[in-house]
Amino acid sequence: MSAVLPHHGDHAHDDHHGQPHGWRRWLFATNHKDIGTMYLLFSFTMFMIGGILALGIRTELFEPGLQFVNPQLFNQLTTMHGLIMVFGAIMPAFVGFANWMLPLQIGASDMAFARMNNLSFWLLIPAALMLAGSFFMPGGAPAAGWTIYAPLTMQMGPSMDAAIFALHILGASSIMGSINIIVTILNMRAPGMTLMKMPLFAWTWLITAFLLIAVMPVLAGAITMTLTDRHFGTSFFNPAGGGDPIMYQHIFWFFGHPEVYIMILPAFGIVSAIVPAFARKPLFGYASMVYATASIAILSFIVWAHHMYTTGMPVTGQLFFMYATMLIAVPTGVKIFNWIATMWKGSMTFEVPMLWAVGFIFVFTMGGFTGLILAMAPIDIQLQDTYYVVAHFHYVLVAGSLYAMFAGVYYWGPKWTGVMYSETRGKIHFWGSLIFFNLTFFPMHFLGLAGMPRRYADYPMQFADFNMWATIGAFGFGLMQVYFFLFVVVPMMRGQGEKAPQKPWDGAEGLEWEVPSPAPWHTFENPPKLDATATRVIG
Amino acid sequence: MQPEAQRRANARLGWILAGLALLFGVGFVARIMIFGG
Repeated sequence: MSAVLPHHGDHAHDDHHGQPHGWRRWLFATNHKDIGTMYLLFSFTMFMIGGILALGIRTELFEPGLQFVNPQLFNQLTTMHGLIMVFGAIMPAFVGFANWMLPLQIGASDMAFARMNNLSFWLLIPAALMLAGSFFMPGGAPAAGWTIYAPLTMQMGPSMDAAIFALHILGASSIMGSINIIVTILNMRAPGMTLMKMPLFAWTWLITAFLLIAVMPVLAGAITMTLTDRHFGTSFFNPAGGGDPIMYQHIFWFFGHPEVYIMILPAFGIVSAIVPAFARKPLFGYASMVYATASIAILSFIVWAHHMYTTGMPVTGQLFFMYATMLIAVPTGVKIFNWIATMWKGSMTFEVPMLWAVGFIFVFTMGGFTGLILAMAPIDIQLQDTYYVVAHFHYVLVAGSLYAMFAGVYYWGPKWTGVMYSETRGKIHFWGSLIFFNLTFFPMHFLGLAGMPRRYADYPMQFADFNMWATIGAFGFGLMQVYFFLFVVVPMMRGQGEKAPQKPWDGAEGLEWEVPSPAPWHTFENPPKLDATATRVIG
Repeated sequence: MQPEAQRRANARLGWILAGLALLFGVGFVARIMIFGG
């Protein structure tokens, strides 16, 4: 039951009353829409920084031999690319979506803790500066991989401490954001918006927020122990003092595998909003989607050691983690089946958000299948730390998380900015990204199967052709994102383009389409009265 | 502005969740320190 209460004495006003201007509007922002915008712009900036690091990696790997960077800097590039993309780009981007859309979708006036929301965002800035600035510290940036494995962490310079501090801050920000999201969803839904009538995006974020609260503190514990190993004489993970580096891996992946789902569940929510809108049919199997999301989240806690088959675990352990991992294919398959069943005999059109959503389903499924292959211990032992793994997780995180975010930007962008994007430019962005993404990462499957290890700055001659194509694809993919920013995002932010109607998509349903475009600064100040489906405001 | 009852309900749930996060973090480290890996 929703715990929202009516605001007696207030009167609804969707004007900009009380809106601060200039830098105060952003620095002291407590409005969920402003904070959402800041999250999205911040994450896009980090995405571009992480992308530049990726192009540094691909430039070096364009041909065999060492041309541009030395191996130490190469390891720093791979480490920082991973850390920045995971903690600086994908996670904050989804929090940005949550900030913008959750209050609108559930009929709340704002997030539950508006000031904490401000703090959650502004904590990101010093953390990002510390991460990016670590390149300029003595010894350069951390080079222990995004997993910051012990005992490599013992060998790093002071930048490792900066990274640990940055991760602590990012973790605190994530936990505060999660608390905000859970309380908003559980306590501030409009009357009539029961849990099983909520949009799937709210459901996926609710489950994701619980995952974050469960596992971010575990990561914080692990990196705190790393810090005490480095500076305070403990030996949790340092074998020189009797510690166990394998224990670090267990702890890290107990965080790390749910983290994978933290980065993909909100993407499922976005796709579940878009597919019915452009198929002009209700989502097939809503309840099963909710249960599948919860099942994926629960299973994510018992599969962590599939990242560690080669550390010498007993066969029974391998079998347990292998079967548990393969079990995740069942709820994931339910989701993919439901999206396809939603499209089945639908009156489909393929505007840009739908293109990204269909692209997501197709390419993410490929990443899912390679995940299933990697789940099998005998195969994984062959493929561990090869480019097959790199291909797999980029198919899941780029074609999964990132594609869904692009789908969401095109789908909800008109609501945010009040103008329509250019359909032609959106299609150029989509097809360019799709082609260049596959050109970059598809060859990596073959490189991995042929035995090319990841995190090496050089490789033998037989891997040259696939690497050349991957590098060309990476630059093309990067170029498409610059195109997206300059020719899609900037015009929309400047209000250039056709004026967006209140509901630009005739098949879309939900409370976000019940407010004008752009969404006024204040929305649903008084809890709206909803129809039986909780998708329309009737009073 | 949220009504007082709403604010209190939110704060109560917020502190419960913060406590849970603290419990997971501290509990995990304490478990390792007491029982080992």
